[in-house]
Formats: sequence, structure tokens, C-alpha cells
Amino acid sequence: MNKTDIQIAICGSAGEGTIAAGDILRSALAGAGYRIIAFDAYPAEIRGFGKCVARLRVTTEQAYSLKEKSDVLVCLNDEHGIPHIGEVRDYGAVIYEEKSIVPLAEGAHVSAHILPGQVPYPVPIRELSERATGAVRSRNMVVVGYIAGLFGLSREPFYKIVDLKFKNKGSVAAQNRKAFDAGYDLGADTFKLDDVEFGAPGEMFQATMLNGNAAVARGCLDAGIDTFFGYPITPATTIMEKLASEMPKRGKRLLQTEDEIAAIATTIGAGYTGARAATATSGPGLALMSEMLGLGVMAEVPSVVFVSQRGGPATGIPTKTEQADLNIALHGGHGDAPRIVIAPTNVDGCYRCAGKAFEMAERYQTPVIVLLDLYLSNRYETVALPGKSPFEADSDKPLAKQDLGAGYKRFAYTDDHVSPRALPGMAGGMHVVTGLEHNELGRVNEQPDVHEAMSRKRHEKLRAALDHPDFTVYKRFGDEGPVDVGILGWGSSFGECLEAMFLARREGIRCAALKVVMLSPFPVDAVTAFLDDCGAVLVPELNYQGQFAQLVQAETCRPVHRYNRVTGTPLRVEDIYAEVRRLALAATRKAA
Amino acid sequence: MSTPRHHVVIGSGVAGNQAAETLRARDPESRVTMITVSKLPFFNRYDLPRVFRGERDWRKFVIYPAEYYRDNRISLRRATKVVGVDGERRTLTLDHNETIRFDTLLVASGASAYMPAELAEYQPLMHGFGAFRDAITAADALPKDGHVILMGGDTIGLDLGRTLLDIGYRVTVIAEKHTFWPHEVKAEDRPRYIEALARMGFEVVDGHARGEIAAVRAGAPGLSPRRVVFHDGSEIHGDIAMPFFGVAPALDFMLGSGVDIERGLLVQPNLRTTNEAIYAAGDVCQIWSDTDKRYHFYHGWKNVRAMGELAARNITGANEPWTPIQDESLQLGSDGRIHSPFWEYA
Repeated sequence: MNKTDIQIAICGSAGEGTIAAGDILRSALAGAGYRIIAFDAYPAEIRGFGKCVARLRVTTEQAYSLKEKSDVLVCLNDEHGIPHIGEVRDYGAVIYEEKSIVPLAEGAHVSAHILPGQVPYPVPIRELSERATGAVRSRNMVVVGYIAGLFGLSREPFYKIVDLKFKNKGSVAAQNRKAFDAGYDLGADTFKLDDVEFGAPGEMFQATMLNGNAAVARGCLDAGIDTFFGYPITPATTIMEKLASEMPKRGKRLLQTEDEIAAIATTIGAGYTGARAATATSGPGLALMSEMLGLGVMAEVPSVVFVSQRGGPATGIPTKTEQADLNIALHGGHGDAPRIVIAPTNVDGCYRCAGKAFEMAERYQTPVIVLLDLYLSNRYETVALPGKSPFEADSDKPLAKQDLGAGYKRFAYTDDHVSPRALPGMAGGMHVVTGLEHNELGRVNEQPDVHEAMSRKRHEKLRAALDHPDFTVYKRFGDEGPVDVGILGWGSSFGECLEAMFLARREGIRCAALKVVMLSPFPVDAVTAFLDDCGAVLVPELNYQGQFAQLVQAETCRPVHRYNRVTGTPLRVEDIYAEVRRLALAATRKAA
Repeated sequence: MSTPRHHVVIGSGVAGNQAAETLRARDPESRVTMITVSKLPFFNRYDLPRVFRGERDWRKFVIYPAEYYRDNRISLRRATKVVGVDGERRTLTLDHNETIRFDTLLVASGASAYMPAELAEYQPLMHGFGAFRDAITAADALPKDGHVILMGGDTIGLDLGRTLLDIGYRVTVIAEKHTFWPHEVKAEDRPRYIEALARMGFEVVDGHARGEIAAVRAGAPGLSPRRVVFHDGSEIHGDIAMPFFGVAPALDFMLGSGVDIERGLLVQPNLRTTNEAIYAAGDVCQIWSDTDKRYHFYHGWKNVRAMGELAARNITGANEPWTPIQDESLQLGSDGRIHSPFWEYA
């Protein structure tokens, strides 16, 4: 069986159906049994302005990131497509609108920029769309059909997705099928000159295709979320949208609040009552939530905050990705306010972190921040989710009868620093909750020894999270034992780190990669042990300051090499690999 | 700083590529753009018979690697059709509605297979040989030890026929007035050449004696896939029928350009057309001969390449006349086999 590893990029203007074409293509190919990683880049404007690019990598074996070079590029728009032609590999295919309906200046057509090693496929996309449906808006379906026909893919998975997508829209599904067929027939009849070959998907991969935000929503639902409060913000909004459609069906409640401050306040309020409660936001929203998060820490109330990072500061670049909110997630707010911060590295991780966040919030009675970014929120992957929820339905510390009564100590000092929690209305569980420093009963107390003891309690109770059951706090990949270069990664960019490590090992460099999922509390021992094994350590991340590198250095007192990019786009595997090679070479020279 | 001159070459065959290379060498600061309808970069068309030996990867036929164009700063525009040239404004219009301005233009668009008008309606039943795709399609349609009918039998067809015979196919040539084109064979010499074809292994059918080809038809069930029917009612059967009636210059886009055209673009001995900015080279042009006082076509890889080079030299300041470098006469070897100088290339 031939292995399939094909990356397709579709490029167009907002409103041309570029993202929709990518969606149908990846859904159909996932339905056909291929593994998918996909990521869409789009402008902040809704329609008619900026560039949209849908990229999907189709594989028969597990992949961890998009590739630098695409095998196929579809240009729905000359202006936006031209800058991307260079990303197509030699003997890859460039599919584009054959003719312009307006006069073009020299060099304004895609064909002027196709490189000699690439294979041009001019297609009368507009004409086929108009013939098939009487409208140009089906151009995106024509190109989906053309790709399917050119590469000999079955029509059925595409029909299935089209029917599903437009099932409540009258004749729209039939129209889209017509456009698809028009493109398919031409593609099938086209003499193929590229060397892009789809192998059979092999054994049917029973998977669901989700993006990070959908996986978060699924994790929330499987963990039994009771309430969700949110205020829309890119790129976190779709978490709320997904939950809004699912929670009412399960008798759960979701409220769109007037702003982020209200969202976190209501989330903490719901958490106080014993509900599994969450909110979702992005960097600007997290900044607004910082004060209330402190209340959650001080009052030891479980709450879950999903934060999908985007380019900042301020309004920044709302539809571009960045990993620059690590510092505010770890340290944002006033006072000594420790919290749990976890960062999934892939879509499957989004599901697991979402569910586990509720367990941790309850077990350690604290806010838990789950840190995603736009790249992970919008990245689609085929994942095999468990049929049955793997999450505990109730993670609260058991409350013994003798704990309750007149002397109930909501904030009792215990061996594990977690106090038995009574919920409002529970007989014998009356207590005071306040944002002021308090004693074990919850009553305001500013005595030095109390503040010290309570501060210790709030910090120390979190250490147990490093051993939270069935949760991957960190994981090492690649060569065991001493290595030339180690890559230390977190969050969405770890996939690129992993692919770079594979490249390095193929080139004979001893290399390992460590992903760190739990960022607070920090797994100091494990990371230090990893650093001990590495001749040099590279920390690639999508922020200017090297926020994770700073954290690693602060926690381990070891030097690391930083690789920081702030392009608004994901890291590139080849760039990380180049850094690894440079470090390996430097180590070799030093040894010589 | 002055704007660099823009040399545009239409066609990416041997003439066009030789011209582009020469233009780059002689005018290093200029822009050189080469435009072709082909999706493929320059490949050796004379090598196409190799497809029938099983070579299916077009990359094995390509003359220059992709880096060549980058290194020589030649902008190669493939899958691009020129639909009009305005000689006065020095612009050309592409099929996709783009306009390109040029300082000098070399038309080296070559020629396409000529099809007699009376047979044009049967073209869908014939297998062409003008492009890489045609060769693949024909080879795919041909069963092992199959039978190929070469209609006409120009030198391109006979060259393919030699390969097919060598591989073990049965090859029938329907001899008629285009046989041996572009060689001009005297009537009295013709029987000897026809006999030579037979000695080489071709089965030769005298198309003229049968009243010429009347039609090409699909074979009925149980018969071969193709039938070539003659006006006398006779017919021959084969697996594929391939037309080889010579070629016609590809110059539709030059109509209305203000340049004189007869059958080809008419050029002076220095290969310049009637527009001082426009030159032509290769199968597309007819070159004035002061000796014969008429315009001539010249064919063959070596001649065409030399024309490309000469045109580029003259575009960049020289003013040299064309001299054919290749003997154009059909040879009959001591082994009794015919040999065309057009079968030699490289």
C-alpha cells in the first residue's frame, strides 16, 4: 500500500468559499478513511477583503503538523494566490482560474508565477460553475470536484458531506453536487502531469474530525459541564457556539454575558454552588478576567477558563495565531495567585485537557486555565475519541459527616492542603467565603501567620496536580538517554517540534523532544532530567519574549536556546529543524 | 536608470529555447519571457517514440532542469496561449485577458500537425503525435504486437514507425503525396523510396492507387478498433490510425498583427518580419532567399535551433543572414534503407 502524505492549500478572497471548500475536502477525505490535519487562515473582515487560505494535510500515517511545502495549490483568486505559489513543491500541482473576466496587467495572472518545476492546471472554474448552477458562487465546489477527479478519488464521500452540510437548505445540496460533478468530470479527463498520488486509505481509521475548539466543547460535555458563561471573542467563540447548540439538549445552561468580567464572575459563582462551570476567552478577555481569577484562587472555588491565544497586545491581530499569553495565564492578576495552567498540544489533547480541567478544578479547588491558541482552536485533526467518557463525574474531595456542623472549616488545613468542601445549602456546611484573607472558617483574618499558612495552602495543594491520574503532564519522544539536541515545546507548536525532531533523527542527529502540558505547577524534576540529557536545548515558541523559555530557565536555572517567531502563522518545521542542525553542528565543532 | 529591454519569445521548442539562451547571454540586463501553450517545459519532441518503449515519465524527456530557467532568469510561462499581437503598440494579449508589453518579439511557435480538410471530421478516431499526452494516449491504445496505421507518412511518422517496428509492432504506411514530407522526392525516385520502406519492415499501401483515404471508422465488434476506408471501397484494419500529413505553421494569433503572412510568417534573411521589432524562427516562418527569389520553409532540429540563435543574435544587434546548416535531402543508404537528416538531432 502506498503511503499518502499530501498537503492541499486553497487560497482565495473572503467570501469566495475558500474555507468552505477546505472544510468539504477535509471532511470527505476524513470520511474516506484518511488522517487529516488542517488549518485555515482568514482575515478579520467578514467578506470581500482579505485573504483566506485553507490548508489540509492528508495522510495514511499519523502526522503532527502541516508541511512547509504543499503538494497542491488551488488559487481562486489571482492576487491572493500568487504569493503562495512558491510554497508548492516541484512536480506539485497549481490549479487556477483559467481566464480573467477583467483585463489584467502583466504579471497579474497566476500563470505568470508558476515555477518551471510545478505543473499548471488552468481550469475554467467560473464557467463550469455558471454552467452547472447558473451562478459563480459554486466555484469552490467546482475546484473540490476538480481535485477529486484529477486525483481519482471516489465521489461518494463528497456527496455524503455535501448532503450533510446542506441538508436543511432545500436545493442547495443538489446545486453543489452539480458544481462538484462539473469539476470532477473535467478533473478526471485532465491529463495528469504532477506526481501527487493518493494511496488507498488502508484500514478504515475510525475517527472523528474536529478542530481544537470543537474538541474542547466535546471534552466539556463528556466531563458533564453544567453551566457555561461567555462573551464572544475570536478565536474562542466557537467553543461557546458549539456548547450553545449542545448543552440545552442535555438540560444544561449557557449564558452569553455582557462582558468577560461578568463571564468569569458568573463562572466562579456557579463553581461555588458546585456546578461544573467554565468560560472561554482570548488574551484581551483574560486580561479583564484577571482580577476575578484572583477571587477564585482566594475563595478556592473551582472554575475552568479556556483561553485561545491570538496575536497581541491590545486588539492585535485577532485572526492570527500566537503563544504570547503564557505569562498572563501563569501570573496575571495581583497577589500570590497560583492556578493550574495546562496547554494541550493537539486536538486530542484539547478534548482530554478540557475534561481533565474540570476534575482538577474540583479536586484542587482552584481556577484552571486551559491554554490554546488560534492555530490549535482552528486546527482540524482526525481523532479517535473514546466511546465512553473517560472523565470523573465528581472529583470533589469527599466530605465526611463529622466535618460538618457548627465548627465546619471550609478552609481547614489538611495534609494535602485541600479542604473538604461544603456546597451552599448543605446542612451543617454554613461558612463564609470572601476575597479577603481568612482563617480556616472562612472568616476575615489578616494575621501574619494566617496569611502565611493560607498562602502556603493555596500554593502547595496544586503540587498534587503533577500526579493527577490519567493525565499526561509531560511526555518525551525520540531518542532515549543522552542526545545532541533536545527540543522543549508546549502548546500548538509542539507538532512542528516533533516533526523537526523526526527530520533531525533521519539525518543522524541524536534528538529528543519533550512536550510540557502542565505549565503550572511546573514539572521541574522531569524537565530538569530532560535538560540533563541534552547537549543543547531548543525552545521554539510563537512569541517574541520567549515566555516559555523564561519559565524553563527560571524553574530549572539551566540555559536554553530560544527560537521565537511572531509572524501570526504557525512555526515551520524546516526552520526548527535548521536550528536543531545548527545546534548539533556547533556541538560537534565544540567537541572537536 | 533605464528600464531593461523586454524580449518575449513565443514558443518553447528548440528555436525558442535556443533564442532565449542567446538573448540572455547577449543582453544580460534584459528581461526574457518565454510563452508556451504547453504545460511541460522544453522537452525533446524527437524523443517521443521512447514512450512506446515504456518510458512514461515526462521528466525523463525534459531538456533543462527547472533551475535552468531560474539561473538564466528566463520567465517561462506555460499553459499560456497568445491570442493577439499588436505590432504597432508592441503588446500581446493572452487568452486569459492579460496584456504584455514587449520591446522585441520572437515568434517561434512552431507548427501543428496538418490535417487534410476532407479527413478533419474523423480526427476523433485518430491518434495524434504532437504532444506528450498524444504519445501516451496512442501507446495506451496499442496492444502488444499491435498494428499501427501511419496515414501519410511524413518524416516524423516514419521516425516513429522505425521505433515501432524495432519494438515488434506491425506498421502499415498509407503512402500518398505527404509521404516523406518535408523532403521533396522526385516522381521518378519515389518507387525506390517506397521499396526501401518495405525493406525496412513497413507494410506499404498505395493510397493513391486506392483513390486516396475516404474515411476513418471505428472497428466493428470482432474486428480491429480502427478501419481506414479508401475511395475504391477497400479498407485496412489496425489498432490505431495516426495522421502524418506534415505540419502547418501555428500562427493564428499573428493575424492582425500587421506582419506579412503567406503560409508562414514572412521574414527577411535576417529573420526579421515586416515589423522591425518582430522576428520569427523555426517551422513558423518562411525565409526570403535572394538566390531563388522566393520564401522557403526550413525544417529539422539543427536548422530550427540555428534559426533561434540567429534571430536572437539579430535582435541583439547583429545583422546576419540565414544560411541553412542541414542537408535536407532524403538519403538512400547502401543497406537499402532510407535515412532522413531530420532524424538527427542534438
